[in-house]
Amino acid sequence: DGVAVLPAPQNLSVQSTNMKHVLTWSPVIVPEEIIHYSVEYQGEYESLYMSHIWIPSSWCSPTQGPECDITDDITATVPYSLRVRATLGSLTSAWSTLKHPFNRNSTILTPPGMEITKDGFHLVIKLEDLGPQFEFFVAYWKREPGAKEHVKMVRRGGIPVHLETMEPGAAHCVKVRTFVKAIGRHSAFSQTECVKVQGEALPL
Amino acid sequence: GQEFQFGPCQVEGVVLQELWEAFQAMKDIVQAQDNITSVQLLRKEVLQNVSEAESCYLIHALLEFYLNTVFKNYHHKAVEFRILKSFSTLANNFIVIMSKLQPSQEKEMFSVRESARRRFLLFQRAFKQLDREAAVTKAFGEVDILLTWMENFYQ
Amino acid sequence: HFAEDTSDLLQHVKFQSSNFENILTWDSRPESGPDTVYSVQYKTYGETEWQAKEGCQRITRKSCNLTMETGNLTDFYYARVTAIDVGGRSATKMTDRFSSLQHTIIKPPDVTCIPKVRSIQMIVHPTYTPIHTGNGHRLTLEDIFQDLFYHLDLHINHTYQMHLGGKQREFEFFGLTPDTEFLGTIVSLVPTWSKKSIPYMYRAKTLPDQTWT
Repeated sequence: DGVAVLPAPQNLSVQSTNMKHVLTWSPVIVPEEIIHYSVEYQGEYESLYMSHIWIPSSWCSPTQGPECDITDDITATVPYSLRVRATLGSLTSAWSTLKHPFNRNSTILTPPGMEITKDGFHLVIKLEDLGPQFEFFVAYWKREPGAKEHVKMVRRGGIPVHLETMEPGAAHCVKVRTFVKAIGRHSAFSQTECVKVQGEALPL
Repeated sequence: GQEFQFGPCQVEGVVLQELWEAFQAMKDIVQAQDNITSVQLLRKEVLQNVSEAESCYLIHALLEFYLNTVFKNYHHKAVEFRILKSFSTLANNFIVIMSKLQPSQEKEMFSVRESARRRFLLFQRAFKQLDREAAVTKAFGEVDILLTWMENFYQ
Repeated sequence: HFAEDTSDLLQHVKFQSSNFENILTWDSRPESGPDTVYSVQYKTYGETEWQAKEGCQRITRKSCNLTMETGNLTDFYYARVTAIDVGGRSATKMTDRFSSLQHTIIKPPDVTCIPKVRSIQMIVHPTYTPIHTGNGHRLTLEDIFQDLFYHLDLHINHTYQMHLGGKQREFEFFGLTPDTEFLGTIVSLVPTWSKKSIPYMYRAKTLPDQTWT
């Protein structure tokens, strides 16, 4: 292959948003050749008790692109060391190791997407499906002085859910944030959205 | 969110269901290796009627033993049985719990500490009475007994 | 001397548990013959002795109710079956370690549905298990699982759902259209054990609004 030594991948970094963690690196270029990569990880246990042990990543041992979704490998809130090497046929590069171990408690939590709709007097909310680790705290209130704020905990996104039965003529407002048990953190609140329904009062 | 409350010791950032899922993925293959059905290491005298005050000392001692002795000596089997990922999940979450336990060392807690220590020694003695490999296999297979007991302190 | 192959006599020896009713079941391959007899033993993990299960000795059926014998929630159990065919061949197989707390699945909750003009009321009844306390009191699922709660959903014209949930037993969906049929489900959930019951499916129709007739 005309390549004596395969260079090790460089510029390893992890991007983590809403508990989805992606390891990226600069691709190793060898003209007209397809380079494969292998990713391995070590949790704090492995680095403390058996530092020679590295565990192959679930999805990227091997992989072709210069990135790897390591979400399924990061299963505890401890620092994880990560390393990558390139392979071309029988040639393998040295391992490159992430400079600073990654801990999932550093993930960026964004306010969740939400869709507010009305069905008659019913206020309906549909939340972004962020996966099983997320719970949603929905705050809703009637827009008038001294109005009481109600809170509803929604366990899963992706399904339109009835929030409350509105009174005609008054605006009803909603905002939502997420909570992740595994790291004990919540996101900022979303923008507030308000809706109003016209018509006669509903006999209860 | 939910957390562990072992008496005065509070532990956040561990989802017990994730530990259960990790162990359930290994349970049958691990427990099938334990042929000594007449010995239970984590038996009633070790785990039943543990007071809140004792619980922090006992869980600290047990997790320390599991990390230093059981997991360390079971690792090669985890590789052999291809359960390394679930094994790593358990081990690293035990590390999180251990790192957050701060059992008090005050003098007035001496009797409580001693009571917890006697319970742990019951477990350790039973462990030492078995052949080393059999003991490690049995102890690792009894993680579900440990998790069942830990449930009592998960709120 | 080759060990005789008796694997056809006995397979899949395991516990099947729902609402803490623990049934031992097993299979055999067709070629094992209809006159094979089976005998069941059980033991608590950590104890030495195996106990013969009365009523399941030399039986021809392939199940045995071990609910009473495996009723201690904090204990773990093993059971084993010995099969003997007419030719005198025998085989013995043991279950995996069994814990009813871990293995039992939860049946759908028992529910009474009371439709009204603009609402539907749901009353969930306690679910009794075969487990008794020392003084003979029968335990319900709620007694055993402290964090058990119910989750109800009502489907509104295929576009969205109303959700209710909690540990209480009475729930009511309000603000509904009179004289309209609704579908819904109710499940029991035990978060700490990651248990979710088989859903109770229901169909209910609100009453016609008589106020203007």
